Amino acid sequence: MSFEELEHTADLRLRVRGATLDEIFAEAGRAIFQVMYGHCKDRGVERRIEVEAESLDSLLFDYLSELLFITDVENVVFCTFDVKIQGTRLTAVLRGEPLDPARHSGGTLIKGVSYSGLEIRRDEEGYVVEIILDV
Amino acid sequence: MLAGINRVGDLEWEVPIGYVPGMRVPGRFFLSASLAGTLEEGAVRQLANVATMPGIVKYSLAMPDIHWGYGFPIGGVAAFDMTEGVISPGGVGFDINCGVRLITTPLTESDLAGKRRELIERLFAAIPTGVGAKSTLRISNKDLSRVMVEGARWAVERGFGTEADLARCEAEGAMSGADPDAVSSKARQRGVPQLGTLGAGNHFLEVQAVREILDPATAETFGLKEGQVCFMVHCGSRGLGHQVATDHLRTLEAALSKYRIHLPDRQLACAPIDSPEGRGYYGGMVCAANYAWANRQVIMHEARNVFAKMFGLDCDEMRLVYDVAHNVAKFERHEVDGRPAEVCVHRKGATRAFGPKAPEIPHEYAGVGQPVIIPGSMGTPSYLLCGTTTAMQKTWGSTCHGAGRVLSRSKVKKEVLGKEVREQLAGEGILVRAHSDAAIAEEAPQAYKPSQEVVRVVHVLGLSAIVARLEPLGVIKG
Repeated sequence: MSFEELEHTADLRLRVRGATLDEIFAEAGRAIFQVMYGHCKDRGVERRIEVEAESLDSLLFDYLSELLFITDVENVVFCTFDVKIQGTRLTAVLRGEPLDPARHSGGTLIKGVSYSGLEIRRDEEGYVVEIILDV
Repeated sequence: MLAGINRVGDLEWEVPIGYVPGMRVPGRFFLSASLAGTLEEGAVRQLANVATMPGIVKYSLAMPDIHWGYGFPIGGVAAFDMTEGVISPGGVGFDINCGVRLITTPLTESDLAGKRRELIERLFAAIPTGVGAKSTLRISNKDLSRVMVEGARWAVERGFGTEADLARCEAEGAMSGADPDAVSSKARQRGVPQLGTLGAGNHFLEVQAVREILDPATAETFGLKEGQVCFMVHCGSRGLGHQVATDHLRTLEAALSKYRIHLPDRQLACAPIDSPEGRGYYGGMVCAANYAWANRQVIMHEARNVFAKMFGLDCDEMRLVYDVAHNVAKFERHEVDGRPAEVCVHRKGATRAFGPKAPEIPHEYAGVGQPVIIPGSMGTPSYLLCGTTTAMQKTWGSTCHGAGRVLSRSKVKKEVLGKEVREQLAGEGILVRAHSDAAIAEEAPQAYKPSQEVVRVVHVLGLSAIVARLEPLGVIKG
């Protein structure tokens, strides 16, 4: 599991890898929270979510959009993502801590997940996807 | 210049049909030789992708602050036929009606001597900024429905500013056609606590001085004098707008096959303007746009109060010059093939720049054209321009929206430290206040094209005319 930031002038472009689908979705979640808030510790906040879509790419779009929604309305920051995917249905347990502006203000606010180039591909190491996020 | 692009004028370039498969019209963009070096191939491809969309009229256009975004390029402008054409959130962006307003004060720079730090601190305390910032307003869901329909008027009726402010907003601070039913419960949940907050990223409130007047007669009409202290507010529709864009992007993407629309980039997901999905997006987008006008109205009012208390001013002495949107889609009347026709104009990172006598602009500005506000970055000047007849003829009454980035956020953070940027700017007499130095680093002046050059290009082309140059004195950021 890994993610890296690729060059993009105006927005944020991430390449996320995972050996399995569960892993790549978990890592994509971790990546956007890392970008937005920097450090995060599991301090007992837990949320469970379920998302269903018509394709894996749209499932990733919906899942990441759901994470952006939850952090915006509930003021929580997540650091661990336990994701299970069956077909194009996802369940995830998210763990983290309440948002603390003093510790979490060093990052970049993400406004939305773009569909541009959003395509989960298989390669020799597992799965890879590039995600462009509006920041 | 990149391969495959033809020069058609001194500062004008054409992307021919065939640059990407399926283009219905050519692309056109405006750039000087010195800006050409910053043009990314990805931005040109995005400009060409827009030209594949159904019902696009004449050209896929981009202003000189063109850069690589997602869906439309940033700086992109395109008009669509009302019957054959489409509407797309990819032509507006997630921050619906991100925009700028400029307010004059009766103060001069010398009035701020020894008080600038205190002014910036008081503004920072009065206006919620940054990630997780919540409004001090307590509004209900019912209030929110009214905000989404009434826009800036909702704020004025609750004492945030005056009736005179409304006439000086694009669309008088509220577009018609809002459909609160097209706004999801999720968008509402995000919108309720965030009204009156600045947000993060490149959003700011900046105190500025009018440094140079280039067109004295028009400056007088707009109420600007040399040496005068002004302030500028740059922000948008916050989480509500982001959620409206996300929700409808998803609906439109799923409906592409229903309308047999084939696109090179799914972020351009769109639907016929008069389809259930197209009408739904438009109605929701208008709600978010109106929320953004109310948001900027509330923020302006809070800033006026800070100035009023500190300098013993009356709020009426701080005149709103104008408020412009730079991420929006609108139904407008333009000349198409020599005849007036209604088209759906998308502006993504582009500013409306209607010329003299356009019925949509305030009566008091009818003789000179609409004020166009171009924010610089923290260290570079901002400009006030006016709209022109040339813009009406060439660009659907549109011009640039800002300096445009040249360095990604990650690259600039590797090259500079926020603390250094803050100290360097302080050395130049510009005070910067933010929650974190990282936020300052991301928006460092070196991350942007020189605003002077972008503005010079639109001025030389006649897409808008420079009226005044404003320089930053202090800025609060998210």
